[in-house]
Amino acid sequence: MNPTAPILEIRHVHRSFPSPDGGTVEILQDINLEIHEHEIVAILGPSGCGKSTLLRTIIGLESPSSGQILYRGQIQSGLNPATALVFQNFALFPWMTVRENVAVGLPALGLSEVENKQRVHDVIQAVGLAGSEEAYPKELSGGMKQRVGLARALAVQPEILCMDEPFSALDVLTSEALRNEVVDLYTGKGSPVNTILMVTHSILEGVFMATRLVVMGAHPGTIRGVLENPLPYPRDEHHPDFLALAQKIHTLITQSMLPATPVLPGHEGTTAPLSVQSIPHVSLTAAIGLLEVLENEGSQELFQLAHHARMEPGQLILVVKVAELLGWITTTHGRVEMGAEGKAFLAADINTRKQRLNVTLRTIHPFDLVLEALKQSSNNEVSEADMLQVFARAFPQEKPARVLRTVVGWARYGQLFNYSSPRKMFQGIQPTGKQA
Amino acid sequence: MTADSYYSQSSRRVGWVDFAIAGLLAGLIYALVTVAHEWGSPLQQAPVIHLEASYLPGYALLSLSRGVMAYGISFLFTLLYGYAMARVAGAERVLLPALDILQSVPVLGFLPGFVLGLVHLFPHRNIGLEMASVLMIFTGQVWNMTFSFYASLKSVPPDLVAVARLARMSWWTRFFRLDLSFAATGLLWNSMMSMAGGWFFLMVSEAFVLGDRDFRLPGLGSYMSLAIERGDAKAQWMGVLTMLGMITLVDQLVWRPLVAWSHKFSDEPSTGVTHSWLWEWIRSSRIWQATAKIVLSVLARLRPSAANKKASVHSPTEEVRSIPRWRKPLVITLVGTGITLGVVKYISLLATLSVHDWLNLLGSTGMTFSRVLAAVALASLWTIPVGVMIGRHPVWSRIMQPVIQMAASFPAPMIFPVVVGGLLAVGTGLGTSSIVLLLLGTQWYILFNVIAGCAAIPHELWEVSRLSRFSWRHRWVRLILPAIFPSVLTGWITATGGAWNASIVAEYMKYRGNTLSTMGLGAVISQATERGDFHLLAAAVGMMAFTVVVFNRLVWRPLSRLAQTRFSLET
Repeated sequence: MNPTAPILEIRHVHRSFPSPDGGTVEILQDINLEIHEHEIVAILGPSGCGKSTLLRTIIGLESPSSGQILYRGQIQSGLNPATALVFQNFALFPWMTVRENVAVGLPALGLSEVENKQRVHDVIQAVGLAGSEEAYPKELSGGMKQRVGLARALAVQPEILCMDEPFSALDVLTSEALRNEVVDLYTGKGSPVNTILMVTHSILEGVFMATRLVVMGAHPGTIRGVLENPLPYPRDEHHPDFLALAQKIHTLITQSMLPATPVLPGHEGTTAPLSVQSIPHVSLTAAIGLLEVLENEGSQELFQLAHHARMEPGQLILVVKVAELLGWITTTHGRVEMGAEGKAFLAADINTRKQRLNVTLRTIHPFDLVLEALKQSSNNEVSEADMLQVFARAFPQEKPARVLRTVVGWARYGQLFNYSSPRKMFQGIQPTGKQA
Repeated sequence: MTADSYYSQSSRRVGWVDFAIAGLLAGLIYALVTVAHEWGSPLQQAPVIHLEASYLPGYALLSLSRGVMAYGISFLFTLLYGYAMARVAGAERVLLPALDILQSVPVLGFLPGFVLGLVHLFPHRNIGLEMASVLMIFTGQVWNMTFSFYASLKSVPPDLVAVARLARMSWWTRFFRLDLSFAATGLLWNSMMSMAGGWFFLMVSEAFVLGDRDFRLPGLGSYMSLAIERGDAKAQWMGVLTMLGMITLVDQLVWRPLVAWSHKFSDEPSTGVTHSWLWEWIRSSRIWQATAKIVLSVLARLRPSAANKKASVHSPTEEVRSIPRWRKPLVITLVGTGITLGVVKYISLLATLSVHDWLNLLGSTGMTFSRVLAAVALASLWTIPVGVMIGRHPVWSRIMQPVIQMAASFPAPMIFPVVVGGLLAVGTGLGTSSIVLLLLGTQWYILFNVIAGCAAIPHELWEVSRLSRFSWRHRWVRLILPAIFPSVLTGWITATGGAWNASIVAEYMKYRGNTLSTMGLGAVISQATERGDFHLLAAAVGMMAFTVVVFNRLVWRPLSRLAQTRFSLET
């Protein structure tokens, strides 16, 4: 679709951080991507898939562990002078007026004073900030603040405008309005925006804005697929083509995240193989909420389900994975269905629920690890530090502290073991009464 | 980027405000000449101090000039030390503990070194003695400012740092527009506290005996010392009133306008802003507008665009400026040698002390230690209930805040004699009375923090406590005490630090021609200074610093951790 040479080439980019146990956590794995002139590329993916890291690496705020980024054929080191960034949380200087904030990047360009003034004036007009030039950020609403962030990025006339979840800190109406404004800026005559590279977790936002969509998966962050979006602007969110494309992306995400043959944990009495994967960082309450929705709405496509649950599909997938891990639901080709165990769980009272959960959790790997460690210890206690090391070894792709937090949350619900935060200790619970 | 439109919005009154500002400038020039004259005059070890009222304005001016100069040095020190501590790789590990120890050394511990060294350097002019006095005030001011600046630098939001890098800000621009601007609010509040801390030892800083030499510098502090020594009640009153006047003036003319101005650096919407009549007037005066315009245009020129371009483009993860690799061993060797040499010298100084001296020191430390704890406990007893009461009512806090602030900045040692006189008349000895003196000096820190902590308790929690029908006792145990614990702790830490220092003037004083003293580490330090017994002084100062640091490590640090985790109001 783009016969011209790309502005940016990302070649075999890896990014990893040292983990507490001395190993490394891989955030990005072998990323290859090209950005061409006059397109809007949206990088889509669930939280924690490294999409923001990728964007920051492209800009040069972070450097890749290995691999190269080429700007117009030149290997790039340091900040890419052709980019500007719009931040999720605006990142405005509270002590500068709107005008000063917008002008912040101009001195480094070495233009004349007159030209600086002209540019500031132009972008302020373009994003609709005229009249607020002398206001301080704290006097502005969220939408106006992000307009300042946008104006600041546009003022340096970047070849590639980068945006890191630019609308997710705003309320629904405001983000809707700004999304349209950015598209208008891009499609307008004599547009100051030529190429946009944006990160988002919202499929609809991506389909609404982008000409090309890059879908990423997590642990480690990899590109799972790239889709062209030929729909003409302005786009109609209810148009069948729009919905079809969104569905296609959604299927792509689902397939990459929910394998066709799910790993089912054992049920009461059986000795099924332990699941060896880690657990998503989701609260059990959300998973129970999912069961409630399924009971009300019947079995559903993930995408419909996201609509009913009023959640982003990327986020919902994590909840679905949890429910699947617990044996409550089954998914086949993106269709989510409640299982017998799920029905039984939902029908039970709170104490029975806890008992059922207690049994199920024992078969899930991270919990098994804790129980095993407790069994080995002499006083039925294990320190947090020891457990973090165990997790780091067992799940090298995950942040151990995050696994620990989720494990503690679930275990408390299922009364599997205790955790004391002031002492940073896991404590076993002596089984009382009847046990499984 | 000029401020044209902004300033043209405010009215352009040419009136008495402009004349007043012009008058102020004239006064400033006169003051500079007076101070320069005093500094340049031949060395007078102990000039005659006059107790007549007509001398007071001049004395106040001289003391103020010393305080301001000390503050200037504190500010520069803070910028350099704080920046190095936060931004130079590896520096933190050395500089942070060093600062911790330095701030625990009592002000008198620096005295002999400063005075003897500087008087030697300038044997014929007053300048050496003046500098020593300024440096002593500086040691009473500087530490909390440095800590505040360091803490601010460490918490600059990463997104703003990213913006600064993307904008390719030069080092200077970044320092002024990001680091310093972000730190401004904290630095300002700590500056106010520091000024007050500097005044605390004004009397000691301007009049002291070192061995057989009696040093005096004309100023409000030496005036008060003399008045107390002579037991001249009228002069004491006049001195106290002058001090109060000076503090009020500085507060109204300097701090209020600065606080009003500093609101632009804060992230929060400006509700309940401190108003300053002076700032409003200054802002609308012509002289100010003209000056501001000139300053802004000069600042705009200060933009070496060539230097800007290469700044920070080539280092993608540049965060801290690090010492080049080959220089590292050199730096470590130099610092290490310096420290070893200092320790050896110090130990050889201590070796001359007898066992009896050491036992006496230990006993004195114990006495002062218990006094410090007693003073903080007593202070908590009244400040916590009163502070909670004030903090719960926004109207009260608004009224009381400036009053307490004034009380806190008044140097308590100036009224010590009056208090001691009263207590001695009732029949209490100095041993017990000095607890009251320590209390006088340090209670304000706790009160301040209790008010702030109580005001920060979310409204909903009060409502819950009402809905759950908490008893009076429950409300205190379940809600108020846990919620204000972190702030009270901050108050305690500041108060104990202040109390240790204050023991030097509380356990030993000259009053109506008599010398009053009681057993305690503060008294030992005062006596050793006066006798010129530097061995004992070194041991006593070391002892105090050691006790303070150990107490910080063993008690305050674990409690702080607890406050940050369990008792943090963020959920």
